[in-house]
Amino acid sequence: MTDVSENTEVKVAVEAADIFVNSYYKTWNKENGGRELAQFYVKVNPESPLKPDITINGNIVEDPTDLDGLHRSQPSKTHYEVEAFDCQVVNTNFTVGAPEALLEGNSAGKKMSILVMVSGSVKYPDAEETRGFVDNVLLVPNWDITKKNEKEKKKWLVQSQTFRLVL
Amino acid sequence: MVIFRDIANTNNLRIPQLPSPADDRMLQRAPIAPRGPRNSSPSVRSRGGIQKRNKAGGPVRVDRDGDLVMDATAAGDKRRSGKGRLEGPASSRGAGRGRGGPSRGANFGAAKTPQAIVRGLETRQANILESRITTGSTTLQIDGLSSSKAASNPDGGVESLLAFLERKASGPDRNVKIKKSHKKGDSVFVTASSEDIAEIQKLDGFTFAGATLGIQARDSPSSASRPDKFGDKRKDEVSSNAMEIKERLKGVLAARYNGDLKLLNLSALAQDPGLREMGVFNGTTTTSKIFPALMVVCGGLFKTRQEKQDAIVSVTLADNDLADVSDVTALAQTFPDLQHLDLSRNRLAQMSNFDAWGAKFKHLSTLILTGNPIETQLATLKSDIMKKYPYLEILNGIQIRTPEEVAAALETAKSPIPIAGPDFRDVGQVGENFIRQFVVLYDTDRSALLANFYDAQSVHSLSVNQNAPRGHKNSAPIAPWAPYIKQSRNLVKINNLPTQMTRLHRGSQAIEKLWSALPATRHPDIQTLGDKYLIECHALPGLADPTGQSVRGVDGLIITMHGEFEEQSESPGRALRSFSRTFVLGPGAPGGQPIRVVSDMLALRAWGPLAVPKLPLNPQANTTIITTEQQKQEAMAMQLVERTGMTPQYSALCLTETGWDLEKAFMAFTANKDKLPADAFITNAAR
Repeated sequence: MTDVSENTEVKVAVEAADIFVNSYYKTWNKENGGRELAQFYVKVNPESPLKPDITINGNIVEDPTDLDGLHRSQPSKTHYEVEAFDCQVVNTNFTVGAPEALLEGNSAGKKMSILVMVSGSVKYPDAEETRGFVDNVLLVPNWDITKKNEKEKKKWLVQSQTFRLVL
Repeated sequence: MVIFRDIANTNNLRIPQLPSPADDRMLQRAPIAPRGPRNSSPSVRSRGGIQKRNKAGGPVRVDRDGDLVMDATAAGDKRRSGKGRLEGPASSRGAGRGRGGPSRGANFGAAKTPQAIVRGLETRQANILESRITTGSTTLQIDGLSSSKAASNPDGGVESLLAFLERKASGPDRNVKIKKSHKKGDSVFVTASSEDIAEIQKLDGFTFAGATLGIQARDSPSSASRPDKFGDKRKDEVSSNAMEIKERLKGVLAARYNGDLKLLNLSALAQDPGLREMGVFNGTTTTSKIFPALMVVCGGLFKTRQEKQDAIVSVTLADNDLADVSDVTALAQTFPDLQHLDLSRNRLAQMSNFDAWGAKFKHLSTLILTGNPIETQLATLKSDIMKKYPYLEILNGIQIRTPEEVAAALETAKSPIPIAGPDFRDVGQVGENFIRQFVVLYDTDRSALLANFYDAQSVHSLSVNQNAPRGHKNSAPIAPWAPYIKQSRNLVKINNLPTQMTRLHRGSQAIEKLWSALPATRHPDIQTLGDKYLIECHALPGLADPTGQSVRGVDGLIITMHGEFEEQSESPGRALRSFSRTFVLGPGAPGGQPIRVVSDMLALRAWGPLAVPKLPLNPQANTTIITTEQQKQEAMAMQLVERTGMTPQYSALCLTETGWDLEKAFMAFTANKDKLPADAFITNAAR
């Protein structure tokens, strides 16, 4: 079933997690980053079996585009900081929502699902205390990647997210 | 849709129940109990005594501006730009220490230095006063470290603070050196040459690692005698003139303070007999000169911000002929936490007259503007004022916010995204049963836990977050990380592939080897101490099908548990840690356990009180989404039970597999009913 060597598997997963972790929270920190947040997620598409499942502080977010509203509710200068993260490959051959042509084979770990667990802090400017958060994210391949658009599109998208302030 | 069959093929989904009867609502909504900080006494990490500065770098680095340098961004950026980053971002402290350079004095603007203030008071005495008042002592008391991010360092952040002070106080032609330092309570005392002390003192009000520093001249606290609150023991060196001015100002302040009301009455200063006697209003010297001096003297009376906050909650500046607040800017620096402010009978005419206070007085609850030209426009300016003062309750005697609204605003400031109860969307109680067994078995019998839920493909790793915030009132000691750090797969720090590989443990045997080396733990009883946990879960698509039948994979469950555990350690006292643990569960392989752990990730951090969901103003508001969703699903499951004769558990599973579409679920059932195990049906259970 697995035709990805464990070496490649770990390397690709860590790289995907690293890119995510280093760009996603910066977008939350950005003054007008709210509208960019949806780009990190799989799209809501009734045709596709692949659906985003997002929970922020116990609140279910139906559509990634709704995150813009949450972003706006934060005061500007809110600052998220990643302090630790870890990742594991959940499935080396993830195919939910994949086009038929991509069902077979798995070259260089491009079809994995990757669980990323992030531990960090967030400083809301009007609050005295810095708070701690833990975020769990499942990254899956972006099936819309083609040779033409691979430069501008994200290789991995969030399918599942459970974010919570823990302090 | 063949996915349902895959889960169904596990034959037996029932998991042995724990002896105690399960309250199946428990995991869904953990009881909400507000919990105060464990220990609200001020943190004492260093045991007093004078210590020589430790030259070794602390674990938290501070950049030129005193902000913490977080490894995440630093490491991440480096990792991409170069290959094979060198080890240990934490061990090297930023270069440039000891040289102030260009940034020196950059943010002086707002806070006038005591020297400048006194100079302005009486120009002729400037030289004498400046040198005497500021250099009379060679010891400074520095407050604010305990609320900075660096406070979580093993040394309480002292090392980072000292480096910050030296760097900031140094100039192109002056290299400031701190000779001695020690920490007592929340304060750090530093000793240096009198010239250096003068430079360091200018940093009063600077921001260090997120906290505002308060710096005041002090006698060494070890000296027994303290003749007055200014700590100027070396009176002989201080000119009698300066002392006299200070004493007079203190006298003025004392006469104007009402301890019962915690009110400092600074109204009609120009008419004050004491001040007039001093001649400060002669010639050009006006409120703009005397006021900052008063504030400096007043600020010096308090050791900590908290002390100041407790003593003075109200200030009146009525009848001071103020056209704007620029003459009284210092009030904002001295009393940032002020609750009630009376500006009656001045000449304030518009919002811009308040600009000198910037965004200060965030905690203002009452504002009185009676007898100012601006009074007539209050109706139109109300929303601007409310925005400027987010917790303002009463404006000119009119209630503009209810106490509830203020409380809600405070809550929103702490977490703009509301904290709702756990989102626990379980599938056939698989998640609940797993967690109940996990917390018991991880403490008592890790081998049994592995045998029940882990197989040769299960993956486990742990990561330690040593920089996690823990709340500034929390002074519980941090148990050493040694037992975990060698296995920590915190990818912010671990950038080397072989290490990333060896710290990933695949298969029950490898996991058992790791777990047997980890300290024994005790998790709170989930039955009786449910509020110590926050557990969330929902279905996760696209797991590898252990039977290899489904190309598109099978569905599983992702569970995240936040909580704490106690560790058995050799050192006395309780070693508590906070943790978060995420599991991906899926159907087991044929012939194996019915449910297997696909992924198990443990994230550890220093203990801090778990953020519990807050009751909203309208208790129903934030649970509606979840409740209605649950009710909808329960109703749907019951319909499927009626149509198929399957148990509620199997019906729920079938619905989950088909995306909660009743028709699809029924079709999946019809297609697979012959393959379903006997106990999938209610009739079977009754037999």
